[in-house]
Amino acid sequence: MSSTLISTLPVLSADGITKAFSSGPPWHRRRVEVLRGASLQVSPGELVGLVGENGSGKSTLMQVIVGLLARDGGTLNRPERLGYCPQQPLLWDKLTVAEHFELFAKAYDLDERSAMASRDGLVGELGFGKYLGYRVEELSGGTRQKLNLSLALLHDPQLLLLDEPYAGFDWETYLRFWEMAEQRRAKGMGILVVSHLLAERERLTRIYELRAGRCEAL
Amino acid sequence: MSRTFIFAREQLRAPFTLALLVAIPALFVISAAGVLSDFATALGGSLAGDAAVALSAGWAAAFISGALGFFQAASSRGADRRLVLAGLGPARVAGSRIAASIFLAVVAAAAAFMALLVRVDVAHPLHAAVAVLAFALLYLAIGVLLGSVISAPLEGSLLVIFVFLLDAFSGPGMSGSPPLWSVSQKAADVLIAAGSGTGSPAGDWIKLGVVTLGALVAAFCVFVASARSRA
Repeated sequence: MSSTLISTLPVLSADGITKAFSSGPPWHRRRVEVLRGASLQVSPGELVGLVGENGSGKSTLMQVIVGLLARDGGTLNRPERLGYCPQQPLLWDKLTVAEHFELFAKAYDLDERSAMASRDGLVGELGFGKYLGYRVEELSGGTRQKLNLSLALLHDPQLLLLDEPYAGFDWETYLRFWEMAEQRRAKGMGILVVSHLLAERERLTRIYELRAGRCEAL
Repeated sequence: MSRTFIFAREQLRAPFTLALLVAIPALFVISAAGVLSDFATALGGSLAGDAAVALSAGWAAAFISGALGFFQAASSRGADRRLVLAGLGPARVAGSRIAASIFLAVVAAAAAFMALLVRVDVAHPLHAAVAVLAFALLYLAIGVLLGSVISAPLEGSLLVIFVFLLDAFSGPGMSGSPPLWSVSQKAADVLIAAGSGTGSPAGDWIKLGVVTLGALVAAFCVFVASARSRA
């Protein structure tokens, strides 16, 4: 698909998102406002970065967008099915790599042929095909992260949300990750990458910084 | 391969868990029945003889199934929620997770029942088998329910033990009159009756079925509520 044919309507639109957490006993309740009206947009074919200091609320905003956390206020428009790569790989230790692909292919409603084709393409791109029969508990941190990322990409989503996706990658895989992201962006996928440190700024369409609970375009 | 089979296989790949699943109920029935009678006497109950041995099988299956249900739900919570958000939906994930746990609870109940048959001559073995299974399913439901809302292993397992102890020591045969909230009351009534050779009236069976099914439905609903998308 040519980039000129890609729709410009945002594939993700978050407007004025607020989120606070309460902690402590009822007589000594503490309320921490993490998001105070965070807004951002990602359009098809955009590779957008979200940076911020530790504890600034990047992962909270990501979890609100994904649906893991309920927002207190604001509006959110996003596709029903998206690709989500969490910061900590959310995997089952006793299941094999192949079984993970099988479960997620069912969740994404992929037929067997396209699921296998997509799986084989991803393990080939990231170079972990020989681990298909291995259980997650037997994998290194980097290989777990490759599986974590591949599961988010298996159904070729319209919107891909990546929370610190390259933690544990070696240099070659890190570069391969950015190549993969750019290839998918060129095909029209909207991608949001969350990181406390984005070294590859030239590859990004736009960068937001989360500061005092709000997103500021840099 | 079905989701339920994959989830059950996940547990079958933990050989130590499997060994405990069989060994704990068997050892409990073989060694704890006498102690259970002593406790009952101290608490003002009337439990003794074959009825005490029969009840020990129910409690053994209950304890291991409760712990199993809690850890199944709590330890896989993050990955299960990711699968829900990927499009499988909370009901299908909850159904598969609980079905896989039921398979393991059946194994624990079978181990407890076999130990019971080795230990005493049960007058109504089929009644006893159903009651032991009901104990296992009730506590499996309690474990899954707690594991759906509490992810901390220490707090969660302490709560499972707390519910178990409260229920066990206030249940039929253990105290004068069991309180209304005693979840395993009917399972214990049926099991004691099966052990002592009297059998149970139809009303007890119906109540046992309603309570067991209700507990599983409650666990399913809490799992679904905790795993659903918040978007």
